[in-house]
Amino acid sequence: MVQLLRKVPELTILIAVTIIAYIVIEFAAKVGTEPAIGAFSSIDLIIISFVISTAIAIIAVIAGVGGGVIFTPIMLAFTSIDTLIIRSTGLVVAMFSGLVSTGPFMRKGLADVKLVFFGAVPIIVGGLGGAFSAIILSSYMGAAGDAIVRLLLGVTLVLIALLFIFGGSNTEYPRPRKIDALGQRLRLRNTYWEESLHERIRYRAVNVTLGGFLFFAVGFTGGFFGLGGGWAVVPVLNLVMAVPLKVSAASSGVLLAKGNAAAIWPYITVGALIGVVAAPWMLGQVIGGIIGAHILASIKAGFVRNLLIALLLLTSVKLISRGLEGLLGIDIPIF
Amino acid sequence: MAKFKRTLIPISGVVYGDIIYWCTILASIMVVIGTVETFITEKNVIPPSYLLSSVLDGNSVSQIWKGSPFGAIPHGHWYLGILPTGEGVTTAGLAFGVFGVIPAIFVSAYFLWRSHNGFFAILALVSAAITITSMLGVIPLPIG
Repeated sequence: MVQLLRKVPELTILIAVTIIAYIVIEFAAKVGTEPAIGAFSSIDLIIISFVISTAIAIIAVIAGVGGGVIFTPIMLAFTSIDTLIIRSTGLVVAMFSGLVSTGPFMRKGLADVKLVFFGAVPIIVGGLGGAFSAIILSSYMGAAGDAIVRLLLGVTLVLIALLFIFGGSNTEYPRPRKIDALGQRLRLRNTYWEESLHERIRYRAVNVTLGGFLFFAVGFTGGFFGLGGGWAVVPVLNLVMAVPLKVSAASSGVLLAKGNAAAIWPYITVGALIGVVAAPWMLGQVIGGIIGAHILASIKAGFVRNLLIALLLLTSVKLISRGLEGLLGIDIPIF
Repeated sequence: MAKFKRTLIPISGVVYGDIIYWCTILASIMVVIGTVETFITEKNVIPPSYLLSSVLDGNSVSQIWKGSPFGAIPHGHWYLGILPTGEGVTTAGLAFGVFGVIPAIFVSAYFLWRSHNGFFAILALVSAAITITSMLGVIPLPIG
């Protein structure tokens, strides 16, 4: 960590500025000092949000999934906050670790700019379509709409977890058996330096057309639930398009950030992004995102993958139970 | 898996990453300043304790804004109108961080075009156009 802080002075400055800011707020605040939840004041909640967000960002960047996959389901499952606000803040969480890690990933050659722009258009269009669909559902169906969103998200998370469980092995350096004509024509191929092997790895993308369609579906789901879409970009790039796992994780983060940058504006322009709520989450994502981006180059992501699977399954149980409670008017006593 | 002796990192990717990276760092500083201002001054347009408690109570976006001094859901880039305040600076910081993607795409598209990757340059410009359309609020969210 000390080495990283020396290597990335802007990270040191940002961490120092943030810590000083929170100390100043803690001691000089004129508002927000009264308890908001239990014994926690608004300021305490902001500092807790920042710490949790930093941890989420490190895990999310290493796994290449975007923090929204962790943030949005947990908030929908365990809080009563309006789904629109959770989804807008979820997009911030999904986006900023990806935005800030874009720099290190591109400089190291881990993220592939052509893959990013190839996936961007279908993901953005799908993401906007998903966001509008979710809001229309919420507007017309009220509480039942929220319950449907929770239920569908719970089922989606189970599917994502299964995808990671059954599709996640032996995919670090995929070996495509065929040459894809479109991929060949578009020159969707590259090399990168694999630090853990001390070797340069060459790869070429296959199943390019199918990948484009899947990116649209991923974008729609991400926009609908405020997950950000990054959860499935890694499997699409790695399992379908035969891109090495590390390049998939890095490109996924960059692609996700780019897609969400379009999807979040409608939330901002109607006041659904509450600055004071989103700010600590954004700061945590930026700091955690830089740390995660520098860690990714030198580690194996197996542990994080397992942690993510456990988290996804646990949250899906709660989401499905809350969705059923809302739709059927019953009480399901689960944690 | 074939292994090469050297790798070439495309300039289009590096400039794209660097522009976004530094915009995000700058945006973070704005957000920190806005957050401090929100809590250490009493001259907020919207009291932060009201915003936080409303959000935690599960109020909808419409309810939150109706109960605020705004009286209704704001539209467009409303935070620019309250820029000197903490909430204004914080939201503007978040928006600036998101905005950084747009110039990055244009510069990257230029380098992609120069490196004979016209297809990807066009894709980049299409994604920029969609993002700008979204930013301008041409298709507003159907709430409120």
